[in-house]
Amino acid sequence: MRGCSRSYAQLLSQLQNQANMEENPNLLLEPYIHLQDLDTDILRNSCMVYPSVFPSEDALRALSKPGFLHAVHATLGRLWNSLTALQKQLLQDQDLPRLTITKHNIQGMRNNIHCLAWWLGSPLETSEPTQGGSRVSLTPTPALDVFWSKMKSCRLLWGYHHFIGLVGRVFREWEDNPNRSRRHSPLRLVLPKGTRKIRPSRRGQRPVRRAQRPR
Amino acid sequence: MLFLISSCLAVLAERFQLTPQLLHVSVNSSLQRVYLQWTIPNLTYHQELKMVFQIEISQIKKSNVILVANHSSAVRGDRAVHWSWDSELPLECVTHFVRVRGALDDARAPQPGSWSKWSPWEEAHVSLGPNELLVYPKEKLVEEGSNVTFCWISGVNLNNISCYLSGIAIHGERLDAHVSTFKWNNVLFHRDTGTNFFCRHTNPTTYDGVTVFVSKVLEEPKDFSCETRDFRTLSCTWKPGVDTALAWSKQPSQRYALFEWVSGENKHCELKNSCNWQITQDSQELYNFTLTAENYLRKRSVNIAFNVSHRVHPKAPHDVNFDDVSATRARMTWRVHSRGKSHTFLCQVELHCEGQMIQEHNVSVHESGEQLFGDLQPDTRYKAQVRCADANHFWKWSEWTPRNFHTLEAAPSEAPDAWRTVTSENGRRKVALFWKSPSKSRVNGKFPFYNIVVKNMENSSEVQQHALQAPVNSTWLSLGQSSYLIQITFTNSQGTSPALVMGISRDSGNEEVEAERVDGTKEGFMISWKPQTRDVVGYVVDWCANSQGQHCNLQWKNLGPNATSTNISSDAFKKGVRYNFRVYEISAHRIAHLIQKNVGYIQELAPLKSPDVILSNPTSHSFVLNWTTYATESQPGFIEGYHVYVKSKDAQCPQEWEEVVLKGDTHFSAPDTLRREVLGYIFSIGGSTFTTKPSLPYMLLQIILSMTMCVLFLLGLCYWKSQWVKEKCYPDIPDPYKSSIRSLIKSKKPPLTIMSVKDCIPDALEIINKSEGTKTQGGGTGKLHAENAPTKLAYLRLLPTEGSSGPGPCICFENFTYNQPASDCGSCGHISVPPRDPPYHLELLTSPNNLLNVLEKDYTNSLGEIPAEQSSLNYVSQLASLVCGDKDSLATDPPMPQHCSEYKMQMNISLSSMILLGQGKH
Repeated sequence: MRGCSRSYAQLLSQLQNQANMEENPNLLLEPYIHLQDLDTDILRNSCMVYPSVFPSEDALRALSKPGFLHAVHATLGRLWNSLTALQKQLLQDQDLPRLTITKHNIQGMRNNIHCLAWWLGSPLETSEPTQGGSRVSLTPTPALDVFWSKMKSCRLLWGYHHFIGLVGRVFREWEDNPNRSRRHSPLRLVLPKGTRKIRPSRRGQRPVRRAQRPR
Repeated sequence: MLFLISSCLAVLAERFQLTPQLLHVSVNSSLQRVYLQWTIPNLTYHQELKMVFQIEISQIKKSNVILVANHSSAVRGDRAVHWSWDSELPLECVTHFVRVRGALDDARAPQPGSWSKWSPWEEAHVSLGPNELLVYPKEKLVEEGSNVTFCWISGVNLNNISCYLSGIAIHGERLDAHVSTFKWNNVLFHRDTGTNFFCRHTNPTTYDGVTVFVSKVLEEPKDFSCETRDFRTLSCTWKPGVDTALAWSKQPSQRYALFEWVSGENKHCELKNSCNWQITQDSQELYNFTLTAENYLRKRSVNIAFNVSHRVHPKAPHDVNFDDVSATRARMTWRVHSRGKSHTFLCQVELHCEGQMIQEHNVSVHESGEQLFGDLQPDTRYKAQVRCADANHFWKWSEWTPRNFHTLEAAPSEAPDAWRTVTSENGRRKVALFWKSPSKSRVNGKFPFYNIVVKNMENSSEVQQHALQAPVNSTWLSLGQSSYLIQITFTNSQGTSPALVMGISRDSGNEEVEAERVDGTKEGFMISWKPQTRDVVGYVVDWCANSQGQHCNLQWKNLGPNATSTNISSDAFKKGVRYNFRVYEISAHRIAHLIQKNVGYIQELAPLKSPDVILSNPTSHSFVLNWTTYATESQPGFIEGYHVYVKSKDAQCPQEWEEVVLKGDTHFSAPDTLRREVLGYIFSIGGSTFTTKPSLPYMLLQIILSMTMCVLFLLGLCYWKSQWVKEKCYPDIPDPYKSSIRSLIKSKKPPLTIMSVKDCIPDALEIINKSEGTKTQGGGTGKLHAENAPTKLAYLRLLPTEGSSGPGPCICFENFTYNQPASDCGSCGHISVPPRDPPYHLELLTSPNNLLNVLEKDYTNSLGEIPAEQSSLNYVSQLASLVCGDKDSLATDPPMPQHCSEYKMQMNISLSSMILLGQGKH
């Protein structure tokens, strides 16, 4: 394919490196927590909820390689839009300088995934759809007030680092058998201490406000 | 008519209760503002009345009235009355009640109307589920320094709520069972992303929060001003102050707008610190601007009014050129951006050379100007710059327009500044010529050549010519013994300088002048001289900047004919360096005569190096020291003299050094007062130490004399000793009273046991000899005096009974002066007496100290190694007793060991014996 590396190993290596780099929460999550005045144990714990917008580990591991690539590609595409929306919340880009680099890396990963899918003989157009979360928009809901938008963006970033870490581990498992396109063998996902659960959850989301306006 | 209206109003007020009807109650949550709309239903559309309304607001319950406000308004039947109220407490926190009533307030009414009935209460409240927790106000935007009141409402199941402001726990004030508030006073700006306030309930877990955005206070624009550079555009600038923008699109940066009051035009400014305003072409000269800064919370404005012709900031001059540039002059021309010939500009022109401004001119200009620069240096680079301002109403200078130019070269204007030194070597003279690098004012051009012409004044055919190019600044000539004339000039592309002429006479280089000291100071050296001749055109003082040596770096100073002194100062002068100055008199024939030499230091320092001293001709009583190689001129001060320190080598006790001070001499011979053996000497300016060696004959003589004295002394001592021994040990007649033990016994007076002679059983009595006059000693108390002693010794021997085997009672007349070992003493016969009273012996031995001392001294060798229990049986071989005691029988009776004569008793026993004897005398 034009513009793609012909080396499977090189593509895989690049994806692994990109995932390893973006997995670090000190790049985005921590600066965001400090920037948005969320640096308390209560809010941090509330932030560490794997958003339902990301595919779960079980869902990803249940996919074939092309399906996995398709799911990651699609999720990263939505994530890129979400980060763009998040960027607009800032007064200036310098407040979260790593965000722009992350967006570039997401585009680079998507390109590499596209090439890898082509290398595997399963272009993304023919890939099976990702299970779970694919239809959920990652764009912050405008109706949320600022506090809950901060919390949602915080979860988005935590989920991003977590999701990228998961993707990286899967890619590392691909090193041994590049031609294998069967489903992955299940792998337990080791979560950081204090994480409540992996599966998509609605807990911790903003409660429904039922206050009545004065008549 | 008026009466009619008043009557109608009165009827109205009476007939219709003007009770307001609340049409709409709305809330702006972020502003915490309540909007009320009401009408007076009974009014017709065309009726208009002035009324006053009273609004009552209660919180939590109707009886808890927190506000009663009056509001006057004209009312019509077709128009609603609007009113709003800002609540300190978020409106969502508690239930609010509101009602309104009105009264006529019309001047046409005959009497003030009474209040109508209250409208029905309108209620606004929040209802929430049993496990819900809500925090208010949402999205609050406040300015720094204001107050914010938070409230939180919890459901019936939530009782233990914790709240945090920016992560810090706070304690609220409880309004009722489920509503609490917290007032944050005098809020400060922390971050543009807002400050979070949230509350949490742990079981069941739920939380809610809000973000409060604190805006910085909008500042008034500063330094607002407008000006024009082209009469087409007014450029207005200001300092905007802090940016009050907030994230999350809560507040953009403050916006700025210009409003011009004369034209009534308004313009929104794109930039936050400047704005351009188009000047209208209808000859508007006066402008009155208001600059407004605005954000969501505040507006700040500043105003200026001006005549545009007074705010002209000209553009920088252009077309700056130089023409007619010569070696010393240049003309500069330029043009200005002018509105016409009627407009006058004031232009400022500056001329710079080597970074310094050397000329400044002000020129009035309409459209173009010019300036002539004079007194310029040839072959010099200059920078000229010009700027202009409105001459009639000065506002601001334009920017500078700089240009560089270079003046042309010119012929050198002055003669070189040169000097020479003359030294004679092997019948010829070596003339070293030096000249100073000429200043630009002397050279006036580039790449000067130095031309040197040497003429022999006694042989016109002998002419030497030399040409040297800069930067060479010295050369040397080899001349004969004739008189010479040296001419030095330098040349550039434009011509040759005047010549410097120096004459070399026959005497040059051979002058002998004694150098005099001159005292230097930090300010330099003051050199004074007396004029030698009248025919003088000047003086020259020269010196070496680097003191003496090859790197002299000759310096000189030219002085006029009337000078008799000068101060030579230089930053190169250093402490501790000797400087030599020579004063030359320049005659009318340009010949220099050395008239004076001076030598001195800026400041003298202590000598750093000791002389290298050579010791020569050392004898037993003299020596010579030389340090002729010591270079005094290179010392950091004048050498006033030397200190030689001398002390005797044979001094037993520490002896002070003897100091000899020498003035100027570089050798030292030991003077008469020091002509003895010396240990060494030390120079005061060094630590050298020399030791002279005594001569061999003297040493031998000293040894021989010493030995001779020792031998004589020993001989005399032996003689005396022998006499003394003879007298004490074996006198002609032994005299116990002469024994020194008597004195001991006397002095101690111990309890004595008297031994009688009769206790001894004589076996035989033999009279050996008895001289007349000898007193019998048997129990008598008479003394045997030496002067009465007979010349022939007589011995009384008590012979033991034959057959007696054990030690019998013996008497030993022992001379106690026999403290020496038996080998060198005369022994005596003695009689062994067994110990009779050992304790007594012990007492005797321990009590008399003197005696003990004697014993210890005399018998250390014999007793020292013997155990105490054996000490009573310590024997010393005493075969000599007979020999000693019977000298005369030596030849006839060979010594035979006999009882009581073979052994000298061990000392303690003999002591007992002697004590017994002594006691017997008493």
